[in-house]
Amino acid sequence: MPAETTSQGPADPAARSGVIHDLGYRRYDGPRLGRAQIGRALAWHSLRSAFGIGRGIKAKIVPMITFIIMCLPAVVNAVAVALSTSHARAIPYDTYLPGLRVLVMTVFIAVQAPELVSRDLRNHVLPLYFARPVRRPDYPLAKLAAFTAACLIMIEVPELLLYLGTIIQAHGGSAIWAETKALIPGLLVGLMWAVVLAAIGLALASFSGRRAYATGTIAVFFFLSWTLAGLLGSIVGHDRGPSLAAGAPAGAHLAGLISPFTVLDGVREWLGGSTDRGIVPDPGHYGPAYGLMLLVFLGAGAGALIARYRKAGMV
Amino acid sequence: MSGMVNGTVARITFRATMGRKRALLFAIAPLILIAVAALLRLAHPEMHSWPAHYLGIFGFSVVLPLTALIIGTSVLGAEIDDGSIVHLLATPVRRSAVILTKFAVATALTMIFVALPALLAALIATGGITRLAVGVFAGALAGSVIYSAFFVTISVLTTRAIGVGLLYLLVWEGLLGNLVSGASELSIGQYSLGVANSIARDPGLNAHLTLTTAIVMGGAVIVATLALAIRALSGFSLRGDAV
Amino acid sequence: MSTAMVQVRNVSLWYGNVVAINDISMSIGPGVTGLLGPNGAGKSTLLHMIAGFLLPSRGEVLVGGQPSWRNPGLFRAVGLVPEHPSVYSFLTGAEFVRATARLHQLPDPEGAARRAIGLVEMTGPQDRKIATYSKGMRQRIKVAAALVHDPEVILLDEPFNGMDPRQRLHLMDLLHSAAASGRTILFSSHILEEVERLSGTIQVMVSGRLAASGDFRAIRRLMTSRPHVFLVRSSDDRLLATALMGRPSVTGVELTPRGVQVRTSDYGTFTRELAGLSRDARIRLREVLPADESLESVFAYLIAS
Repeated sequence: MPAETTSQGPADPAARSGVIHDLGYRRYDGPRLGRAQIGRALAWHSLRSAFGIGRGIKAKIVPMITFIIMCLPAVVNAVAVALSTSHARAIPYDTYLPGLRVLVMTVFIAVQAPELVSRDLRNHVLPLYFARPVRRPDYPLAKLAAFTAACLIMIEVPELLLYLGTIIQAHGGSAIWAETKALIPGLLVGLMWAVVLAAIGLALASFSGRRAYATGTIAVFFFLSWTLAGLLGSIVGHDRGPSLAAGAPAGAHLAGLISPFTVLDGVREWLGGSTDRGIVPDPGHYGPAYGLMLLVFLGAGAGALIARYRKAGMV
Repeated sequence: MSGMVNGTVARITFRATMGRKRALLFAIAPLILIAVAALLRLAHPEMHSWPAHYLGIFGFSVVLPLTALIIGTSVLGAEIDDGSIVHLLATPVRRSAVILTKFAVATALTMIFVALPALLAALIATGGITRLAVGVFAGALAGSVIYSAFFVTISVLTTRAIGVGLLYLLVWEGLLGNLVSGASELSIGQYSLGVANSIARDPGLNAHLTLTTAIVMGGAVIVATLALAIRALSGFSLRGDAV
Repeated sequence: MSTAMVQVRNVSLWYGNVVAINDISMSIGPGVTGLLGPNGAGKSTLLHMIAGFLLPSRGEVLVGGQPSWRNPGLFRAVGLVPEHPSVYSFLTGAEFVRATARLHQLPDPEGAARRAIGLVEMTGPQDRKIATYSKGMRQRIKVAAALVHDPEVILLDEPFNGMDPRQRLHLMDLLHSAAASGRTILFSSHILEEVERLSGTIQVMVSGRLAASGDFRAIRRLMTSRPHVFLVRSSDDRLLATALMGRPSVTGVELTPRGVQVRTSDYGTFTRELAGLSRDARIRLREVLPADESLESVFAYLIAS
């Protein structure tokens, strides 16, 4: 942009041709951060939003309460381990407390996923994001990375607290090693949970700019499907409890396919996890169906999320 | 026209709530309730007590509370959220009339979207007009009233009403209700089940309270929450864009 | 003073550490009063307090002798046009005004609504949903709803936002005729010309404080009695400067490349004398510019005094 320096005062009538004054504006020609940095910044900011950090106190209520409740069993376990003579851990790593985890994660995702995506839709700021040198999928992928990380924190921090609370009382390296070996599958299960739930939660939330509506949709989907899966399993399997005999009707095994939570648990059991603690009956021969369903949930969630932001006229 | 239900407010609320896509959301859960009841009936499960089990858990722990939550927080919450409540409040309509009208609309909608489908599902599941079916209907009606009062009040007290409501439902009623023994007296879900069970007399419903307790506590919740809501709405602060 | 419908007495409002309104007292009587101030001055906050939507931390706000807080009955005599743009967008304009009329318990809601809509010239689009309205149309339908019950006091928060010049003039006429029949009208704006054109009495607010109040012309004069700086270009700057320096109304003269910069303490006398002075000295004046007329400097001066 050419700049002309002029010393003509405003009162000079000859300035009718128009001049561009040099106000000291400088173009920036130096190095610019690229797409990756934009994505990182967006993801970091979104991760903070997921826990209400950087917003008022009211935004922190639900994340804080849900996080504390998730950690409570680990804390109680630490106390119990310290007080008991056998120093045995009361809570398994791979299932933790299943009912608690399901309910608390449902609340967390239902309330916080809209914080990440619905707000931007409501305030029509997406054109601002896409006016930057980013590609369309960058935005949803950054959000997905951030929310997966948030769910990971919610699930794995209690696991680690459980671990720490137990090994503090452990004697000898072999005990600690045994605990660590038990922890790893638990962490992997947690990772599975975070990835799948985050994708579904964000996908559902991205369809509405009104947070209350998005929260309602997510809550209905997760809670309804989970309760129904458990109910159908127990009714069709004649309430024989989680460890069904192989002779139970197929319906009882397949009931778990309708809910992400039961599918996650089914995959855990199929991959060798214990079958007597879970929220689904042992999938038995239907293990691969659960594995497939897991991929379907993950793919549908991530795919819907990315597709949502592809429309050009997204105001 | 005193502090009672106001026809104009009712009409506007009704149109506002039903006009949005949200109406779809309240219809899904009850439809599933009915559909699965029909499927189960056709499947003839071995478990003979399945209707009480199914209706008690799916009806009273999921469909009733969630639908009441969505309806209850949107009759007033949506207006507060986008600021259009100021047009209602800038009239001499008494705040008690506003709250009672919103409460009445929420209750009526919840009864239509939950209690009626629950009755239908129960009739299908039990194959006729049984004690269980009537009990489920009565319990759902009671629950519609109590939950609506509760959720309308929360939506006056906070802009994040649906989050708080969800915390209450899933954490308090869902999680703690099973763990803490005294929690039944403080659970709206249990009040509804108490009413249902007083007619149905079915242990499959898992009701812990007697009819008297349920009615007394439920009534207390209704009166206390609505009074609180009226007081809060009278002192409703609208800051304007300056601050 | 006792006939003033709106009385604000020593009102302060604070949120934590932020003082939004700082000890304001004013009395608003019949006629149009303009609440003038830059953005963030607290005009909306004050209007909301008068409407009973905010409780002062200190002091009292009375409308018609009654406190406005927790007093929805005051709206029988008060109409509010809020600044917030959202209205029930699923209703048509006519339905919205009719519903408001019913909420005011008017004996003939349809008739009152028709009249109000006619007043704001929205009779054509009245049967379209408000969601389809432009910003100016939304403003007008809000005004109709505020006027439907023929209130004695009308509060308007930035009412001219989003209106084109013709709509603006029309609303001004409307408010003028309402005021002429004895109503009390208070409206807020940050645009000097709007306030100037519409109201005789103004209240100037800056940073939550009342900077000036009273008749607009009197305030103008008060504002003009502060020291002024002018920039004058003439056919002979040096000669003009010499002549000016001899005048008692002039406190300072400076020769700059752009002209003569004159400092005067008496605006009225100086402006009267300048023409005669230059004629007597046979100097041709080419340009006389005030050099510090910005609203901020005016406000700053008002605050300081």
